[in-house]
This record gives sequence, C-alpha cells and structure tokens, in this order.
Amino acid sequence: MLVIDHCRLTWPDFVADYSLKVQAGRLCAIIGPSGGGKTTLLHMIAGFEKPESGTLTFNGQDLLPLEPAKRPVSIVFQDHNLFPHLTVTQNVGLGLRPSLRLTDEETILIEETLDAVGLRGFGARRPGEMSGGQRQRVALARALVSGRPLILLDEPFSSLDPGLRRDMILLVDSMRRKRPVTILMTIHTPEDAADVADQMVFVADGKVVASDEPSRILGGSLAARIAAAVSDT
Amino acid sequence: MTTLKLPHPGSLVAFAILALVAGGFIALLTFDGGAPSLFSISPYLGRVLAFSIAQAALSTLLSLALGVALALALARRSFMGREIVLALLSTTMVMPTIVAVFAVFAVYGRSGWLAELLAFLGWRESFSVFGYPGILIAHVFLNAPFVARITLDGLTRIPAEHWRLAMAFGFTPAQVFRHLDWPVLRAELAGIAGLVFLMCFKSFAIVLALGGGPSRSTLEVAIYEALKIDLDFGRVAWLALIQLAICLSMTVLLHWAFARPPAGHTIRSLIRRPDAKDRTLKVFDAVILGAGTLFIAPLALSVLMGLRSMIGILDRDLLRAFATSIGIALAAATVACLLALALASAARRQRLVLRSPRIAAFYDFLPDTLLAVPPFALTAGLFLLIQRFGDPATAGFVLLPLINGLAAVPFAYRYIAPHLLTTEERYGRVAASLGLTGLAKLAIMDWPALKRPLAAGFALAMALSFGDFGIIALFGGTELVTLPYLLYERLGAYRLDEASAVGLVILLVAFLLARVSGRLSHAGD
Repeated sequence: MLVIDHCRLTWPDFVADYSLKVQAGRLCAIIGPSGGGKTTLLHMIAGFEKPESGTLTFNGQDLLPLEPAKRPVSIVFQDHNLFPHLTVTQNVGLGLRPSLRLTDEETILIEETLDAVGLRGFGARRPGEMSGGQRQRVALARALVSGRPLILLDEPFSSLDPGLRRDMILLVDSMRRKRPVTILMTIHTPEDAADVADQMVFVADGKVVASDEPSRILGGSLAARIAAAVSDT
Repeated sequence: MTTLKLPHPGSLVAFAILALVAGGFIALLTFDGGAPSLFSISPYLGRVLAFSIAQAALSTLLSLALGVALALALARRSFMGREIVLALLSTTMVMPTIVAVFAVFAVYGRSGWLAELLAFLGWRESFSVFGYPGILIAHVFLNAPFVARITLDGLTRIPAEHWRLAMAFGFTPAQVFRHLDWPVLRAELAGIAGLVFLMCFKSFAIVLALGGGPSRSTLEVAIYEALKIDLDFGRVAWLALIQLAICLSMTVLLHWAFARPPAGHTIRSLIRRPDAKDRTLKVFDAVILGAGTLFIAPLALSVLMGLRSMIGILDRDLLRAFATSIGIALAAATVACLLALALASAARRQRLVLRSPRIAAFYDFLPDTLLAVPPFALTAGLFLLIQRFGDPATAGFVLLPLINGLAAVPFAYRYIAPHLLTTEERYGRVAASLGLTGLAKLAIMDWPALKRPLAAGFALAMALSFGDFGIIALFGGTELVTLPYLLYERLGAYRLDEASAVGLVILLVAFLLARVSGRLSHAGD
C-alpha cells in the first residue's frame, strides 16, 4: 500500500500538504484543476521534489531517503519521454540498464513488452518517425519493463485525440491485470477513466480534497467543481 | 497600347546586387594593366592560402574547445557571479575586431600587462605577440564567447522531462553527457564550427595588425595589400575570385547545415542537473571557469581602462571621427534595411502568393552570399567603375556605406523576413480581397508587426558598421577618418592610452546599439 501522510512542500506562492492512501494493485485516477498540485504530487512520489515534513511509504518501505533512481517507481510524462537519438529498443532498455549493455534475455523481454503494447517490429525505429500515441506506448513499455511495482503516469495521453486516449487507457487497464503493479495516473477528463479506475482522487490547492470510488466522486457533492476544473482549460 | 509593368523591387535589388558583384569583377579583370596569369602568382597564392586555412583551422579548434567547455561548465553550475560571466560573454560577442586588436596589444604586447607582470616577477625574457600567438588570441577571444553562448542556449533547451528521466534512471555523469549533452552538441557544433571557420578565414583587421609581416596574410589582407601598396588590379581580381569561390561554397554548405526545423520546445529547464554533484566534474568546471575568466576578463577590462584617458582625447579629431562614423553607420543601416526589406518581400511573394518555393529559396539565400563576397574586391571593382564617372576622392563616402550596408543585409534580413511571412499568412487574404498592394499593403498590413524587427535590424546594422575596420583601411586618411580608423592610427603610433579611450567609445556605442537591437527583437514575443 502507498501511504502519504501530511507531506508538506512550500514555495513562495504555493503550499502543498498531501495525505493519501492507495491499495497495492489498484489503478488510481487523479483529477483536479490545473495548477492545483496533481503533477507535484507525482513528482514528490518519484523523488523530484522533497517534502519538508511528513511520511511517504510504499508497502512499508520509507521512500523519502531514497534517490529517484532507487525508488520502486517508474514515471511517464505527457511529453518528451523518449530520447530522440536512441532507437525504440534503446529507449525501453534505459528502464533496465542506463548503460544500455543489454543481455540477450533483456533484449527478448523488451521485444515481448513492445509486442504487448502493440508495437511489434518497431524496435529499430527512432521516436521522430512515430506518432504521438506510438511514442507514449514506448514510454509505457519502458515503465513496464523496468519491473518497478509503482507506476506514475502524468497526464500521459492528454495530447492525444479522444478516441486514441480511450484506447490507451484501456491498454493501461489490461496491462495491470497481467502484473502486480500499482498505478497512479493524473488525467484531464475524468470520464476517460471512470469505468476502469478503482479509485479516484480530487486534488486542488495542494491538497487531496476527496478520495473515493469514481462513481461517488463524479456523482457526489464535488461534481460542480470537477466540471468547472475540466472546462477551465 | 501595352503598359509597361514594373518588376517587383525585390527582383530589381537582386539583379542590382548580382550586377554590382559581376560588374566589379569585370572591371578588375579588364583593367588596362592586364591580368597576370594565375600561374605566375601561384607560389605566392599557395602560401597565402595555406596560412589562411591553417590559422582559421587552429582558431576554430581552440574557440570550440574553450567555448564548449565553458558552456558545459556554465550549464552545470550556478554560482555567485554567473550573471557577470554571461554579461562578459555577451559583450565580447559584439566587440569590433579592431577593438579586440587593441586589447591583445594592451594585455600581451611588448609593454602590456603580461609583460609588466612577468617583469615584476623578475622574468625579463621578451616575447612577440605578432604572428600566430596574437592572431589566435584575438580570434579565440572573439569567437569562444560566441560558441559558448550558442551552445549554452542549446543546452538550456533540453526539456525538463529528460532531466527527470536522467534522475529516475540514475544516469552517471558519463551517461548524462552521452544522452543529454552530446546530442545537442552534435546538432549545433557543425554549423557553429563552419561559421567560426568562415569568420577567421576572412579575418582582416586582426591579421593585418597582428600578422606581423607579408608572410602571414590571409587572402583578405593579400587583396588589401595588392590594392593599397601594389595597385595590382589583376592580382586583386584573381585573389578575390578565389576568395569568393571558397567562401561561397562554404556559405552554401552552412546554409544547408543550418536549414533545419527550429526546435519545438522553448521552455527553459531550470532543473538542477544530476551530474552537478560529481566531484571530478566540480574540479573540471572550476578549472575551466577560472581559465576562461582569466583569459577573457583582462582583455575585456583593458578596454575599460580607456576611461582614464577619456578626457585627454576629447578633441576635434575625435568628434569629427565620431560624427563620420555615425553618419556612415546610419547610411549603411538604411541601405541594409531597404535591401533586406525588398528581398524579403520578394521572397514572401514567391513563397505564399506565387507558390514557387524554389525562387523564394533563392531570395532567402542571396543575403547569405553577401557574407562570402570579399569586400575589398567589390570595393576595388566599384572604385574602378566610379572613377570613370566621377571624382575618386569622394568615392569613399559613397562606397563605405554601400559596402558596409551590403555586409549587414543578411543580419537585417533575418530580423525582417519571418515577420513578413507571418503577416501574409494572417492577413494576406484580407489584403488581397481589399485590393491592398505595394506600399499601401506595406503601410497598412505589415507596418504594425514590422516596425520593431525593422528597428532591431537597423540598430544591429548600425552596430556592425560603426565598429567595422574593413575597407576604411583603403579610404581612410586626412579627408575621411572614422573611429575605428582613428584607433588603428593610434595603435600604429603606439599611443596605447589614446587608443584605449577610442576603443572604449567604439565598444560602448556598438554595445548600446546591439543592446537596443536585442531588446527590440525580443519585445512582443
């Protein structure tokens, strides 16, 4: 289980104070207005931002003293996930070994994972030759191949058009049914993930305002605020 | 009766430029003295060519090494005074070559700071700055900051996500270099190296003043000497043709190397780099920043020392030279902006209205070719042409703004052309439906978006012309004295105090103009 207890971060113009629990193996969708602290929450879990106080544990392990590379976490951003000078295989391989000296077994594992995200035979291509959706599939493959149990997706499909976005979310859903991974995903349009997420979290003003089943969040007292947040941008 | 339709001003300008260059060469080759055969000057030519290439290659190599190392160190570190180092680099980028020549004399000359320091330490060995040492010092001083700035800009365009990935994967400093820094360097360096090589290959003022003898001439200096000393127009023509061929092919190469889509993301990453903690790199960066500052700061400061002698040089000569320089710079900037405007609007018409991108590409390329035309050859040819029609004594007053203006066209063009394209894309159809054409279209549709970039181009062209020490070396004398010429005279007479004050005035004006230009081009973005 991921447990965040009063993790506090301060900037001159913004204060965040997060408390949240997510059961292992769940798919948790994070929604809220832009600038409300969704991305900061993920960056803190990944280790890019250090809270001044509070605790952060995953399956009982304290994450706060660990460097980003040592955490059981992999992350996918909205954009710029891939290095343009490396092939797809190499970009995925970075999740296994930053030195890119891959063993035969590792190369096979990469091919299988590419296959699983629907990119069979794309290994030798470079990111510049692929569509936005394909590039995000590569980034997903890298997160999966690293074998880290906690996967953070930061608006991973927001720059894709609605039909493709839905396909990608269904892909994420099918992936996690095959492996023991916990997924936190920030999204812009809550409807995209309402039926696949186990848990939905509303973040605003640097705080977790509500955390519950998606139907209760979307149908409850927050509905008006959520609608406002979505139409805001 | 058919009405004669006037061609577009841009086509006239393009034709005029080509005719000017061709006419100049024809005048040289057909001059009464008779052109010597290429064979008769070939041993001399070989020596000049070998020296031009050798010094340019060495200068480029050293500028790249220092510039790239400085950029990496500045990208990795934030420290007190970083802003000062960046300001120092920017100032050096706009420093006119003749002012750099003064700085080299002031620091490394016979009675310069280094000699004084060594004498103070009890070391009285004499050394000469002339030849390779002086030329390389001046070229690296002018070009390493340019390399550093462009490279640093490239490095700060690396997206923040890539730095977070580097942290998430636990990249070692070597892996950071391989996956983040190196791709940027590889993309930028070929173009930068080509540009620095071209600038050093064409170098005039630095090689003339610091070469220290006829055996150390670039082609540009050789053309000048053939003109000024030997009056050998045939030799001038041959040297100039060879210079033109080499520079033109390099320009074509560079044009292709630079013709790539602009970088998509411009948000600067303010993220702390994961390799900043590495001990070895800390030592390396400290050494580079220390060495770079030790090299650049004294040269830059030597010009500031001119403040001490400022009162002493305030005489009528200086004021007259100042007024002449400003006048020539204004005229040159007007020439540059008018030509650039005509060419850019012709390019736009071809690209967006007539849909012929090839002809548009020719108009885009023409300004860059002006970087390749040797100014002395063009001047000599035009001088011969003018001589037939008018008084040669006043030729300088006409040729100086014209040649300086032509040299500034590529810079003005780069400011103007993109804005013209944007307004046409936005309002072109409305203008066409209203029947707006010609000057009315320029005044109503383009002017609001154009005035700032035009002013920015004008200020930059003025800065370039104001500090230029090129063909003024031919025409300078009692009748015609610009500030850079005055500085050259004072240097030749070893009056370093007065030279430093004149150098400071030139640098201040050039810096101010470049600053105004930078402000104008960034405002409204």
